[in-house]
Amino acid sequence: MQSAPLPETLANLLELDPNSTVVMIVLSLAGAGLIGTLMMTNTALAGPWAKRKITAAFTDRIAVDRIGPYGLFIIVADAVRLLSKELIVPEGVDRPAWDLAPLIIASTALLGFAVIPMGNGIHLADPEVGLAYVFAVASTTSIGLVMAGYASNNKYSFLGGLRAVAQNLAYEIPLILTGASVVIFAGSLQMSEIVAAQQQSLIGPLPSWYAFVNPFAFVLFMIANLAEVGRNPFDIPEAPTEIVAGYQTEYSSVYFVLIYLGEFIHIFLGGAIIATIFLGGPAGPVLPGIVWFLIKIWGVFLFTQWARSAVPRVRIDQLIEIGWKGMLVLSLANLLLTAVIVGVTV
Amino acid sequence: MSLEKPSRDTALDVGVTEDGLDYDALADLLGGHVLDREEHVNAEGFVIRPDEVQEVLSTLKEEAGFDHCACVTAQEYDDRYESIYHLRKFDDPTQELSIVVPSPKDDPHNESAARVYDTADWHEREAYDLVGIDYDDHPDLRRILLPETWQGHPLSQDYNQDQPQIVSLREHANPLEDDKRSEDDPDTMFVNIGPHHPATHGVLHVETVLDGEQIADLEPDIGYLHRCEEQMCQQGTYRHQIMPYPDRWDYISAGILNEWAYARAAEDLADIDVPEYAQVIRTMSAEMCRIASHELALATFALDVFGDFTAVFQYGIRDREIVQNLLEDLTGQRLMFNYLRLGGVAWDLPEPREEYFEKIRDFLDDLPHKLEEVHDLVTGNEIFQMRCVDTGVLSKEQVKQYGATGPVARGSGVDYDLRRDDPYGYYDELDWNVVTEEGGDNFSRVLVRLREVEESARIIEQCVDLLEQWPEDDREIQANVPRTLRPDPDKEIYRSVEGAKGELGIYIRSDGTDKPARFKIRSPCFSNLQTLPEMSQGEYIPDMIASLGSLDIVLGEVDR
Amino acid sequence: MIGILKSMATTMKHALDGETFTVEYPDVAPEVSPRFRGVHKWSQERCIWCRQCENVCPNNTIQIVMDEQRNGEQYNLHIGQCIYCRLCEEVCPTDAILLTQNFEFTADTKDEFAYDKEQLKNVPWYKDIDPLESREPDRGAWIGEGDGEVDYQ
Repeated sequence: MQSAPLPETLANLLELDPNSTVVMIVLSLAGAGLIGTLMMTNTALAGPWAKRKITAAFTDRIAVDRIGPYGLFIIVADAVRLLSKELIVPEGVDRPAWDLAPLIIASTALLGFAVIPMGNGIHLADPEVGLAYVFAVASTTSIGLVMAGYASNNKYSFLGGLRAVAQNLAYEIPLILTGASVVIFAGSLQMSEIVAAQQQSLIGPLPSWYAFVNPFAFVLFMIANLAEVGRNPFDIPEAPTEIVAGYQTEYSSVYFVLIYLGEFIHIFLGGAIIATIFLGGPAGPVLPGIVWFLIKIWGVFLFTQWARSAVPRVRIDQLIEIGWKGMLVLSLANLLLTAVIVGVTV
Repeated sequence: MSLEKPSRDTALDVGVTEDGLDYDALADLLGGHVLDREEHVNAEGFVIRPDEVQEVLSTLKEEAGFDHCACVTAQEYDDRYESIYHLRKFDDPTQELSIVVPSPKDDPHNESAARVYDTADWHEREAYDLVGIDYDDHPDLRRILLPETWQGHPLSQDYNQDQPQIVSLREHANPLEDDKRSEDDPDTMFVNIGPHHPATHGVLHVETVLDGEQIADLEPDIGYLHRCEEQMCQQGTYRHQIMPYPDRWDYISAGILNEWAYARAAEDLADIDVPEYAQVIRTMSAEMCRIASHELALATFALDVFGDFTAVFQYGIRDREIVQNLLEDLTGQRLMFNYLRLGGVAWDLPEPREEYFEKIRDFLDDLPHKLEEVHDLVTGNEIFQMRCVDTGVLSKEQVKQYGATGPVARGSGVDYDLRRDDPYGYYDELDWNVVTEEGGDNFSRVLVRLREVEESARIIEQCVDLLEQWPEDDREIQANVPRTLRPDPDKEIYRSVEGAKGELGIYIRSDGTDKPARFKIRSPCFSNLQTLPEMSQGEYIPDMIASLGSLDIVLGEVDR
Repeated sequence: MIGILKSMATTMKHALDGETFTVEYPDVAPEVSPRFRGVHKWSQERCIWCRQCENVCPNNTIQIVMDEQRNGEQYNLHIGQCIYCRLCEEVCPTDAILLTQNFEFTADTKDEFAYDKEQLKNVPWYKDIDPLESREPDRGAWIGEGDGEVDYQ
């Protein structure tokens, strides 16, 4: 049950010619705007409000509850507050790089959503190399982090930038290798194919989501994803108690908002990848696909917050050690094993 | 009984007799070095020549076993300067000896003790900074509390406090310019950690030279919170005005423990007896403070290791809140208690007493469950163990050399607790244990604090039982103390108690007036902080942060 | 791994039990002990201008001005400088100065915290708790200050 990508759906809906290039460009932009807005809404909800509420629940507190129902209007208040702050440009920053870094951090994560099928036809594009594309854009973020760290002319930022690179190198490879094991199952890099491959039943009502088919790969991927998005126990590029705030130390006002947004979109992108390749994408009973999809990515977000509440941060050398000596070996083993099993059974 | 010391090495006990130290034997050991002998309240003072300090102190350390240089007090008299080295033994701190080193008024200098006791390094720097005595052969005699550019020595007699302090622009050099502090290794990077940094627990400045992520060199720079506490106490009357200030040294809920340090010193100085009932109340409230203080120490340590204001921090604060409510009911404040008085306490237990006992009992009943939770959440966590075991290691010898005390010393296996070794209050009547761990790493220090909370709970429980059965007509909370207290002139005393962070000592010299002539605070954090470079040399930044957290320093007490 | 899972289970238990330990101040006013030491209240009727509070104050927070006949003119207390040690209340022979439970005080500048006689008289009780009752019951007569009979003068 593959649905057409969003621009074509829109063209059919508006009775426009799907073969005209101009129409398709306009409609693609409209679709991108729609998906971008959807993700930004989620991020706006998560950053100033949901994160506070979740952390408060873990720490026996109440958190925001004064402005609006359940304190929801804090989102508006926070937006106004952050945007009205003075943008402080420190002396000696490497100007174009320093300005570009927040943009890169925020935009790369958003780009990844282009190929994620969110159900109900909300799917901007469906290229055959979908999964490879997502991994590629997601890891481009590292460039933004390095730029931010290096251009800030601050030693803490510098350390944070270096840590970010080291960490992303160490965890990108296990992440992609584990993702590749799913590709072996599905036999395709195309996102819609991967989702479709998870629709059969595994045992009884249990669907053949790859999280159930290969829980080991799922756990590996979750852990590598925590490191990829830089959350506890792997939040060492920021590490507030060690290097102040890492690469974002010198950013204020709008730039700070962009970096902050970028981080949350990145968590959601991680959630979206996990939902798509391990949790059957938008599949689920009764509720529409998009709702299930959002539930799944919020589930992953909740997990990152849960881990944050209870797991200490590892040290940089331990992180690298876990990455290269543990995760890499395990993910390679997982890949080999999957290949053998799939090769034998098919 | 649990309070007995393990037997000790008997080779180093010159002058040790059944009923205290035989100072004559010690004087014989030093022979001609002793020029004169002085009587201090609980230790005898040997006057020695200023150029024989190292020789005398090494003899005492090597041959008489005085391995703990608790404090160095410097002061100026009308005719001379004087440095006093307060020596005692880790094995038995009741064996005390003061080495008095006078130096001439016009050119005050004497030999440094830093070659014998590492801890004297900072203590002598402080003496140089505030009083102005030069220490020859000192490894690094610079100002420590005041800025480098400060003119004059504030505690010396000819100090002109109206003199303008001019700070030259040279001191405001661009911190970004000179990156490489280590000449022979151009790959190192100099980083200022603090004074405003999320993990320095106040205004501590750590000058760090990094080699990649590892620490090549490190030096704590203190003094940002120097509030002239010693001088303020010298301007207050014994009877009333000094007592509110100890609360502000270690301001993290350790108030009553600090007050007790002053109360103990001043009571011994003026021969005041404290009623037993008041001693029990003191013991109980002091242990509540210790619990509150250790809870916060754990919470902030978790903050450093977990990396955010996460669950552990909040749970620690929540549990501490309950103790603070109990203390508020008793003393009327949550942090700045001002509860002890010379010769007693300010208030009896709040009425209705049964209700108050009930509250304490509830707290004590919940405590094991809460500690269990902490063990689940923190000490049982593999990542936490990975971070803390074998990091920030401090050996027994280093502890003794640097005069580290309290949970830091006990975490390295040094069995030293003044509540047992130099008993005061009601501690020697109660049944409790001194907690030690052998590891010497960050993890051991955390464990020691957690287990000390349990022991404190035991003490409180026994105190509550005692107070409940105390006959109603014998509830004397305050001894009869004259309204104006004037101890005899030229009486000197160094007395210490086991504060939340270690040995908190007070030196007082009276001059016959109602205010002390010299008031010196021996802060445990000050000595403990000196061990930081030893602990973190060659380790990673996160480990240095963790070590700093496990030292549990309070800058208010370090800088005073 | 088991330890990590145990830690996570612990925090999840807290998240699910829905208990909170913070209060919604100022909607829910916190409990204050009867002995709590807050802003001072001063009674001109009871004050005998003995200046003991001024003498005992550890950091010169209290300033008393008298004329040549030793009649009191001014009684100033800087509540922002005060360290709330309660020594003034302790030495006062007539209970003329008293620390209320009131801990809520704000001002735009520090100078506004320098209270004079009138301001000190008008400091409200906190939740109508009279601290004297909890301290020494026999001193409770002071509540009727203002409209009843005045002694000590």
